[in-house]
Amino acid sequence: MANVIKATDLTLAYNRGKNEIIKNANFSVKKGEFVFITGPSGSGKSTLLKSFYGHLKPAGGSLMVGGLDLTEVSTSKLQELRTHIGIVFQDYKLINEWTVAKNVVLPLMIAGYSLDVQHTQAQRLLRHVKLTEYANKHPFELSGGEQQRVGIARALAKNPMLILADEPTGNLDEYSSNVIWDLMENACGQLETTVVVVTHRIPTIFSLPYRHFIIENKGVYEVH
Amino acid sequence: MKFIKDHIMFILPLVAILLGIEFFLVFDRMTASYEQRLREGYSMLVVSNEPISLQELQSINKNIGQSIKIERDEILKEISLGQKQEDIKEILNVLPNFYTIKLAKYLDTSSLDELQKDLMANKKIKRVETFGNSYSSNYKLFSFIKFILKVFIVFMSVVSLFLVIKQMEVWGYVHKERMQVMEIFGAPIMLRSGVLFKVAIADALIATSIIVSLFLYFRYQIAEISGVDVLMNNSQLLFQPNDAVTLLLCAIIIVVISVYMVVFSSREKEA
Ligand SMILES: Nc1ncnc2c1ncn2[C@@H]1O[C@H](COP(=O)(O)OP(=O)(O)OP(=O)(O)O)[C@@H](O)[C@H]1O
Ligand SMILES: [Mg+2]
Repeated sequence: MANVIKATDLTLAYNRGKNEIIKNANFSVKKGEFVFITGPSGSGKSTLLKSFYGHLKPAGGSLMVGGLDLTEVSTSKLQELRTHIGIVFQDYKLINEWTVAKNVVLPLMIAGYSLDVQHTQAQRLLRHVKLTEYANKHPFELSGGEQQRVGIARALAKNPMLILADEPTGNLDEYSSNVIWDLMENACGQLETTVVVVTHRIPTIFSLPYRHFIIENKGVYEVH
Repeated sequence: MKFIKDHIMFILPLVAILLGIEFFLVFDRMTASYEQRLREGYSMLVVSNEPISLQELQSINKNIGQSIKIERDEILKEISLGQKQEDIKEILNVLPNFYTIKLAKYLDTSSLDELQKDLMANKKIKRVETFGNSYSSNYKLFSFIKFILKVFIVFMSVVSLFLVIKQMEVWGYVHKERMQVMEIFGAPIMLRSGVLFKVAIADALIATSIIVSLFLYFRYQIAEISGVDVLMNNSQLLFQPNDAVTLLLCAIIIVVISVYMVVFSSREKEA
């Protein structure tokens, strides 16, 4: 199977290279794989995800995502790539002036789907994350866990090729967490979506095979 | 409430800029019409030995717009009463040609002197006489006012432009979150800035209509029924339909530039 992500001697840094977070990392993620990334707080998990959607350019080495070399990608190519990636942010990044329903279908709106389709899909997605009642509320009226679920629904909206999730269950109780893991397992198992999840706790009940990377001392290592 | 405040803070400086532009247009028209009146009220009499055509005169000085030959028969009639036919011919031979000269455009005093000198330098021309004396002093005052007004309008526009940009920065702050999230999900720039454009163009329309209504009001409700001659006769200078187009274009250009400034300043920066 083809690689969806391939890092070769990948180095990531802030402040124009002064603040190195990841150094000379080598790993790859194949299409349809489920990957967990763990590591201590501040080790660079969010940073690594940022580099996958082109928000942080590699300071060294190379990084291929969806066949694009992110060390030298044009704005328009990156834009195109991003429409195939569903991202769940640690801090949700919902748009507060929009309703929950509109937030959820942002990827469909960007893809130019009609308002009708957006409306039906919003309902379907909100049903999945058990937030049907909240469709017309605004994100700031929701609890952290509820906002997290809106963010997950948004990431799943367009059946992306790749899902990047940063602590998707960080604010959820066990029941809600299991709902989320089910959704992710479904996306991966049935739609062959590649899923990369950053988490502190790998769920104990998980039915799919998965790989586990850990970030330690600026390196990315696979745990067997 | 906050919505209204945000918009007023944007519309007001825009209105100020448009007001400056409209004032400028009005004053420009007033100047042009005043210059025309000065020009028309001014005349120059040229006395020449031989007939001289307009082309010839214009080749001497290009500022000559029109020459009117004063018919000699009329003069002849006056001075030839009771003269014999041969004598009349004799008189006709020595009688010079008279031309009234009109200017092609408004000239300042030194250009007028030059025009006079140019004409005198021509062999055919014997004399040049000018009429219209208040020309120069009035015009100097006029030019001075025009200059002051221009300085004022430029100053006002610069200050207002700063206010527009300032308000745009506030908007940028409000819209930043949304535009960045949309960018991360791959939205093209037009989609990201769409709302901002819609709002800003609406504001440009509002600002333009405010100024247009104001000047239409001045023209039809104040000037034309004022009973003051000078206002009634010149009311059309206050507002012309073309002004609306000029104002709208200016407003839209200002708005588009400001929106792009916001959009580009809120682009995701590499962390
Ligand atoms: N925008 C930034 N500019 C500079 N340094 C940053 C920036 N974002 C993160 N860092 C630094 O990079 C390091 C890794 O941060 P990152 O957010 O990737 O950690 P993390 O593994 O996601 O931690 P957590 O589990 O707490 O979310 C931290 O030391 C942090 O201070
Ligand atoms: Mg993090």
